[in-house]
Amino acid sequence: MIKINNLNFGYSKHQLLFKNLSMQLSNGHIYGLLGKNGAGKSTLLKNLAGLVYAESGTLDVLGFNPAKRQPALLEQICFIPEEFYLPSVKIDAYVKANAAFYPNFDHPYFTALLAEFDIPVGQKLINMSYGQKKKVIIAFGLATNAKLIIMDEPTNGLDIPSKAQFRKIMASALTEDRCIIISTHQVRDLDNLIDTVIMLDENSVALKASVEEITNKLVFKRVKEIDDKVIYAEPSLAGYNAVMPNFHQEDSKLDLELLFNAVLAEKNKLKPIFN
Amino acid sequence: MNNTFNIQRFGLLLKRQWLEFGKIYLISLLVALGVIITFYGLALWKNIVGTHAFSERDLHFREPLFLIFGFIFISIIASNYFAHLGQKPKAIIDLLIPASTFEKFLTGIFFTSILAIASFVILFYLTDLAFVSKLRSLYHSVSSVTTYTDASGKEVKSIDNIMYFFSKNSPNLFKPLYAVPFFVTSIFLVGSIYFNKFHYIKTAISVMIFSGIWSLIIFKSGEFLFEGKVLIESEEMPLNNVSRSDGEILGVLLLVVLTAIFWSITYVRLKEKEV
Repeated sequence: MIKINNLNFGYSKHQLLFKNLSMQLSNGHIYGLLGKNGAGKSTLLKNLAGLVYAESGTLDVLGFNPAKRQPALLEQICFIPEEFYLPSVKIDAYVKANAAFYPNFDHPYFTALLAEFDIPVGQKLINMSYGQKKKVIIAFGLATNAKLIIMDEPTNGLDIPSKAQFRKIMASALTEDRCIIISTHQVRDLDNLIDTVIMLDENSVALKASVEEITNKLVFKRVKEIDDKVIYAEPSLAGYNAVMPNFHQEDSKLDLELLFNAVLAEKNKLKPIFN
Repeated sequence: MNNTFNIQRFGLLLKRQWLEFGKIYLISLLVALGVIITFYGLALWKNIVGTHAFSERDLHFREPLFLIFGFIFISIIASNYFAHLGQKPKAIIDLLIPASTFEKFLTGIFFTSILAIASFVILFYLTDLAFVSKLRSLYHSVSSVTTYTDASGKEVKSIDNIMYFFSKNSPNLFKPLYAVPFFVTSIFLVGSIYFNKFHYIKTAISVMIFSGIWSLIIFKSGEFLFEGKVLIESEEMPLNNVSRSDGEILGVLLLVVLTAIFWSITYVRLKEKEV
């Protein structure tokens, strides 16, 4: 579905944000895109949507070059940006103006999502809270039935019940022909939602692995003392939360935050495990 | 699917733009109507209530009002059209609407160069028609011939100015100027996409600087080429070999070419716009 080959991108020619970045993303997956501030999460998403242009390299999204912004591709992309603008109209007027551009727009599904998110339909978009607006834009995006769903910090501004609703809705939105990419720095919001983790660090992809692969190769557990098997550990109340190689095929739950910190701190130790 | 132009998609885009900007546009038209009526009211009120004798001079404000206010109105509309693309949240939504860059560009031309100009001309014409009709109904009995004595004591008969004014209707005289509004809107449209902030001021300053430089170049090259030389008339090259109509055609052609250049730049800037 998405093929990125030797992508070089920078906001200035002298300082590249991505150097020869390559990866492939397939449909039927929910990818969690993680990285430090400034690692290029949003920029990568913008590259995929054709909102910025790469210095060199190739990008293939659903068989199109996103930089050309062709309608045939745009109607298959749902992009939920971190910062967004909604006009001063009611929801039905917004839908009337925009839904017709998406041939697979599902009106009953949109109404159902609004009801699930508890959005007041008669209110003008501009008078809604940031969280409510975000829910409207998420509901609209999902109702387009686009094949590629790109979300940049979608849970920012959502209250606790809405985050749970969001996870539930996103899990049900995944189909065989859809690819969902969610970028966030609030890793706990993606717990039990994503099936593949992509981490960006130092101009490149530091880790791209499915949750299954990660938990097969690594074990996340609490230990009392740190020994040489531990790749990375953080102190906790009763010892340490540690990441270790999964030599004995132990079952453990992926701790995204711990993995994220481990990748940043011990990249060299983790690289051979995943290569 | 045609990824360059599709009439149905173009129609949807026009409708979308109208739903988003229609209200502001109509408010701008109302403001313009108010300004035009105020000018007519202030200038002609005394004639209408009969406290001041009507003279053709009382209508002299119309041409400058039409030209200056028309310029301000169409340039402001054009200068605002792509201005929102300077704001990240608005630009993302607009650039990702599933329509081609060409369709988005054509919509811009429609709103700034067709709708804005036509609506201003119609608005001005209708207001003018209303006031002039009122004056006609009040002053229909004015003599068509004015007789006066000049400084030497000689009696002179001349066409009555009022009747002359009312009978005068030669729009063909202004044909060479028909390209001007398109030229003006094309400049301010390119400014609206070129600059991210203060579009109107920056465009106006740029136009002043470029016109200044251009005039200086023309003046200096003319001085360099012709200083100390005398134009000699010959049969092959008569002094007045360029007729007025030829000059007008050249002027119109120059405006048309410059308008096309500015529109092309706008299209390219829209295509290359990054967020």
